[in-house]
Amino acid sequence: MARSGWQLRIRHSTLYRYDGEVTASYNEVRLSPMTTGRQVTLDARVEVQPATRMSRHHDYWGTLVYSFDLHQPHTELQVVGRSVVETSGAPNPGPEVDWAGVDRVSDRWSEFLLASHFAPEDLELVDYASAVRHRFDDPRDAVREAVELVNGRLAYVRGSTSVSTTGPEAWRRGSGVCQDFAHITIGILRSMGIPARYVSGYLHPSPEAPLGEEVVGESHAWVEAWLGAWEPFDPTGLDPVAERHVVVARGRDYGDVPPFKGIFTGAASPAPEVEVELVRSA
Amino acid sequence: MGDLLDGYELLDNCWDELFESPGVPREHYVALHALLGQLTAEEFEARCRARDMAFRDQGITFSLSGEERPFPLDLVPRIVPEHEWEVIEAGVTQRVRALEAFLADVYGAAHILRDGVIDRRLVLTSSQYCREAAGIEPPNGVRVHVAGVDLVRDPKGNYLVLEDNLRTPSGISYVIENRRAMTHVFPEFFTSHRVRSVLDFPARLLEALRRAAPADRSDPTVVVLTPGVANSAYFEHVFLARQMGVELVEGRDLICRDGVVAMRTTDGETRVDVVYRRLDDDYLDPLHFRPDSLLGCPGILGAARAGNVAIANAAGNGVADDKALYPHVPTFIDYYLGEKPILANVPTYNLEDPEQLVHVLGRLDHLVLKPVDGSGGKGLVIGPQAEEEELVELRASVAANPRGWIAQEVIQLSSSPTHTGRDFGPRHVDLRPFAVHDGERVWVAAGGLTRVAIPRGSLVVNSSQGGGSKDTWVLADERFVAHSLAPVHVPRLATEPLSPPDPGPAGQASAAQQ
Repeated sequence: MARSGWQLRIRHSTLYRYDGEVTASYNEVRLSPMTTGRQVTLDARVEVQPATRMSRHHDYWGTLVYSFDLHQPHTELQVVGRSVVETSGAPNPGPEVDWAGVDRVSDRWSEFLLASHFAPEDLELVDYASAVRHRFDDPRDAVREAVELVNGRLAYVRGSTSVSTTGPEAWRRGSGVCQDFAHITIGILRSMGIPARYVSGYLHPSPEAPLGEEVVGESHAWVEAWLGAWEPFDPTGLDPVAERHVVVARGRDYGDVPPFKGIFTGAASPAPEVEVELVRSA
Repeated sequence: MGDLLDGYELLDNCWDELFESPGVPREHYVALHALLGQLTAEEFEARCRARDMAFRDQGITFSLSGEERPFPLDLVPRIVPEHEWEVIEAGVTQRVRALEAFLADVYGAAHILRDGVIDRRLVLTSSQYCREAAGIEPPNGVRVHVAGVDLVRDPKGNYLVLEDNLRTPSGISYVIENRRAMTHVFPEFFTSHRVRSVLDFPARLLEALRRAAPADRSDPTVVVLTPGVANSAYFEHVFLARQMGVELVEGRDLICRDGVVAMRTTDGETRVDVVYRRLDDDYLDPLHFRPDSLLGCPGILGAARAGNVAIANAAGNGVADDKALYPHVPTFIDYYLGEKPILANVPTYNLEDPEQLVHVLGRLDHLVLKPVDGSGGKGLVIGPQAEEEELVELRASVAANPRGWIAQEVIQLSSSPTHTGRDFGPRHVDLRPFAVHDGERVWVAAGGLTRVAIPRGSLVVNSSQGGGSKDTWVLADERFVAHSLAPVHVPRLATEPLSPPDPGPAGQASAAQQ
């Protein structure tokens, strides 16, 4: 493992309080951090209340998915994911790469080059992308430029968008949350011909976090661009993606990685209450 | 008395199934030609009426644009001689094996993509590539339990594959009902021909479905899942369920709990091991596909992943019959089987290649254009028969979305004498043989659905576009004589009830009188 890594304990709770009884529901959750070249998941578990049997599998994108269904009437559903993850410090610089090198992998990474539901092709972003591509000889510089542009143009305003907002919609609104920052960036990078993917996970808010102190965090989203290797960028806060970031899932966009997905019959459901707690434990 | 086929005129540059040259039947049609020659026009009309009554009484219909019509069976059969059938059988079998291997690969390790044999992009951009199905291993490895492979014949008589149907191919019920109707209407035809039976299809299908069940289920329960009466093939769903002796269910009859599928019956719940589903992937499982769909069964995909139920045909098969992948099937045959294709493809242009695209855009009026997602002939444009404004519109659509279309040379499909109401005229036909894969072998029903384009000169045979059909005879050689004489199968048409009719009160009265 790389130097200056952290150990993080994470608790992610989603609580649905229905307006009445729900008689049946089918659900999938993606809450378990991946083990990658830069992080090791030491422990990950998911608990559901009301208790039920769960099955697990890795989906197409390599994410660990828990599925369960409920058939007794219930008015509340709580899903809690707990994990312990070791992360790495700042990565080594990525390999040298030029535009020809990026273009050579267009078939291999075509899935991350094509427009997707949350990052559809958008004329304004395409224009911007081609201008940036022409200004930089080094694709890495072009990516940095795009990430900084999105960060500078978009205001972080909680509640200004919803989970169904697409990147271009948020771009025109001028504000959004991390999901929107990521989708806009992905759209620009793909329009430049750089494979880009969406990463969902967690970010510990404090670089100087003392050991053992619990902080309230959030689900987070950022991007990875292919520059001879996959390289992470965080357009929301421009934080270096290092020991404070924990990867749960990767895909083309949010649609491939929702932390919670379900259908149910019965009473209506207001938005769930979500809590994320993070502790730097080592 | 004039010969019924006397005025028959052959089409130019077109293989006729019956006639080798004007007035001269092909060898395998000599006996049928002679039989038809003995009939007067009035006698033929009477047989047509007998057919119509039989179909009407049986309620055998096809819904065309919302209207229920009797399935139109032309009474001149299409005959395939044994030596031609051997090629078709081997060719269809080979194709199904190659496409099975392709599906197992693209939903598993994806060697064909890693080896760069075809463009990754081609597969990954298919709207039918079902990432939710990745990693689902069918219990006996079969994803294509039933296939319908559409064949046409070029002017030289070569059989060519027009498309593969690996999702929910329909039409086998008409193959069987057409045979029953023909044995009822023209029993004498079958005493003079050794026609191989098609009636064993449901039994073969049931066997294949039972073999598809999870290995630990010794006496598996199979159901047919239908979207319901509104579906255009509902008749076939009922037919197959009845013929196989299994339950016909709708989504609301199934319940999935803890990864196990059960059906609700009047006696409580019964575990279901194999779901022969006749609804599209989109409607199969609202947790993964359309969340608003009530037609499917939530959780069934997870049950399949857990190995507790087999879905037939498997979810995601559409990527293998995506029309944009069709040109690559010969490559699959080579890559997976190391064989040469037995049946050739229709020459097809790859519109993602800019050079071919330019060539095609300049020749739209000479080509057939098909949307890759269309089925049942929907959206298809036959260049030589299209209006100018239709071509202008087409040019714009193709240029805007080349991945959405394929272009093929127009194949002048073979013709077959068809009763037109007054006389017999040449009408274009295709052939859809049906294959069943049970995990060990691919079996092809000896016959298939011959579809007929009813308007003169039309090349569109799809029943969803108003096409007709013909009984398709595969002539048996000596090996099949024992079970090939069709009249031993008593026609099960409504005019001849299976069980002795209830004599009713009148019968009792006459008995009392004796």
